[in-house]
Amino acid sequence: MRLKQGGPHGWPAVSPCSCHHRRARRGRRRLRRSPSAQSTNTDKPIRIGISLPLTGDFSQPGTQAKRGYEVWVNMVNAKGGMLGRQVELKITDDASNQDTVVADYTRLITQDKVDLLLGTFSSLLNYPASAVAEKNGMLYVEPAGGAPRMFERGFKYLIYAQPATAPKQADVMLDWVKSLPADQRPKTAAYPTQDDPFTRPVIETLQAGLEALGVKTVYSTVYPPDATNFQTIASALAAKKPDLVAQGAVFEDGVGLVRSLKQLNFSPKVLFQTSAPSNAGQYSDGVGLANTEGVFYTVSWNEKAKTPLNEEFVAAYAKAYNGETPAEDAADAFAAAQVLQAAVAAVGKIDQKALADWLHANSVETILGKLNWDATGAPQSQFLLAQWQGGKVEIVMPADRATTTTIIHPKPGWK
Amino acid sequence: MTQLVQALALGVLIGGVYALLAAGLTLIFGVMHIVNVAHGAFLVLVAMVTWWLWRHTGIDPIVASVVTTPLMFGLGWVLYRGLVVRIRGASASMSVLLTFGLALTVEGVLNVTAGNKFRSATPGYFEESYRIGGVSLPKPQLYGFLAAVAVLALLYVVLTKTWTGRAIRATAQNPDGAALVGVGATATAALAFAIGTATTGVGGSVMSVLYPFFPASHYDWISRLLGIIVLGGMGSLPGALVGALVLGLAETLTATYGSLRWSTLVFYVVILGVLLVRKQGLFGTRLREDVA
Repeated sequence: MRLKQGGPHGWPAVSPCSCHHRRARRGRRRLRRSPSAQSTNTDKPIRIGISLPLTGDFSQPGTQAKRGYEVWVNMVNAKGGMLGRQVELKITDDASNQDTVVADYTRLITQDKVDLLLGTFSSLLNYPASAVAEKNGMLYVEPAGGAPRMFERGFKYLIYAQPATAPKQADVMLDWVKSLPADQRPKTAAYPTQDDPFTRPVIETLQAGLEALGVKTVYSTVYPPDATNFQTIASALAAKKPDLVAQGAVFEDGVGLVRSLKQLNFSPKVLFQTSAPSNAGQYSDGVGLANTEGVFYTVSWNEKAKTPLNEEFVAAYAKAYNGETPAEDAADAFAAAQVLQAAVAAVGKIDQKALADWLHANSVETILGKLNWDATGAPQSQFLLAQWQGGKVEIVMPADRATTTTIIHPKPGWK
Repeated sequence: MTQLVQALALGVLIGGVYALLAAGLTLIFGVMHIVNVAHGAFLVLVAMVTWWLWRHTGIDPIVASVVTTPLMFGLGWVLYRGLVVRIRGASASMSVLLTFGLALTVEGVLNVTAGNKFRSATPGYFEESYRIGGVSLPKPQLYGFLAAVAVLALLYVVLTKTWTGRAIRATAQNPDGAALVGVGATATAALAFAIGTATTGVGGSVMSVLYPFFPASHYDWISRLLGIIVLGGMGSLPGALVGALVLGLAETLTATYGSLRWSTLVFYVVILGVLLVRKQGLFGTRLREDVA
């Protein structure tokens, strides 16, 4: 019955008409406020509502995002806050659950009446959460959620604070292959990928791009998110001996495939994996540090990048969390907050529509580099191509953000 | 041909490990009709302890089960005496609620103490294989399988050849009858719960080498393990073994001859098919439904 009422997850669809009424009601409520009440209001902290997957499947990126947001809020408040007011985060846990995230943002907006919103983690959770924000006419800056379908809904209040959406993420890898002399280019390639909204588009567009360059596809497969045993994929790969293996890996699957390839002693000349290798310590622990040599991945952020505030962010994070290096997810959350902050500073007041309009028309300097957006909120920048070299991560492309000019090719065999 | 043998060999190795992971779960259900949703969390807990021991003392993860197994036996005993005993006789849903709470507690404690990070133990042999003809047998998978066989054999001997084991089986089949011949219900149940939990000592150690894990990994594992014991018949140890082998073979054969994408579906289709014909699962007995 609930589904028939319209919106996703059983939430009643709001017609333009009822939206209009709601806005009118809100206007009347605002009119009733006395001038004195309004002036005390400006002394109150600006409250930013956030729901995050602090438990459940996405608890790992969720916890990192929480740290990223908290490092940001402490830095902002130390410098006097926003619009002369202190900033307060109201963070709730959505337990990696789509229904809970919808309930969380609805409560943050309608009951807690927060001033601003920041997004949650994963496309899965941001998809319904951004719809709640859109219906309520609130700006929704998300630190994750780059799946193409996010931007197919024509939302006006959605802004994605990473350099590029999933289908564009591997463009920089393709650029590198294009830059190779013809005799050094891979001739055959294999594409195992997890059935995940963030990894599949990356691998599919990379595959199409490489095929257009004449790289022959010898194997491609999609495996379910709960796959844990990769020996069969590895043995299929070892039999086809592709020059390049591009895996749409979230984390365990990335480690699992490398281990299985090593067990079969098949080492491709080029190994590209999404996401997994960016979990620095955890990845090298999982596959063995020596086996990381030459592995490529794309990433939104690097701790050594010379972007404004990046050094301060890394230092503040280390100070707050036992000297740890921030994960990419923490940096993405920090950047999302920077985007929101830049819009508020430029507009000079909290007016959701004006904030969204300003972001669509301008670019923002973040620790991920300069970000700007198209009308759907999709970013128009480029990811970084990273490579494990000598037990550390270096950025190898694009040239203006690279941390080294060396690129290891072909990848050395397993150690 | 080699491809088929390779798929079969891997399927059996993987299935053996799955059987070890599911054994305690089915034993606890068989004796007490408790669905121990915390079983996956116990496995992750042991994997974490094993990883820590391996990292800081260099002790081999699978050998470390000599330490973790008695610890888990003790934990199981204490949990039964302290908590689980209070819901004896209550409906099965109570046991799900209680053990789910336990699972969340373990997850939370691990989050706070060990950190929300992926870990995996990587002893020297973790990426090596034995090769027989064209077939490769990954060493960690093989060692895990051997550990599983040893534990399952030991469990079988204890349950069939010792007085304690007979008492456990008697309580599983007919609690009132067992009580009539002098089997203490509470003590037996506590023992079964402790033994079931102790199997996670070896299971978690093997898991730490074979699969990267983090505190919330237990959700994936418990759903898979419940699938295995439902297929085999809730409470049946041979059933868990067969269910686990079916899952292992479904994974490798579907991946070799179709796409890994279908492996989970194939497994659940098998479960559905079996339940349509035998609603108690392959080896399960119909639950006693006494009329009060």
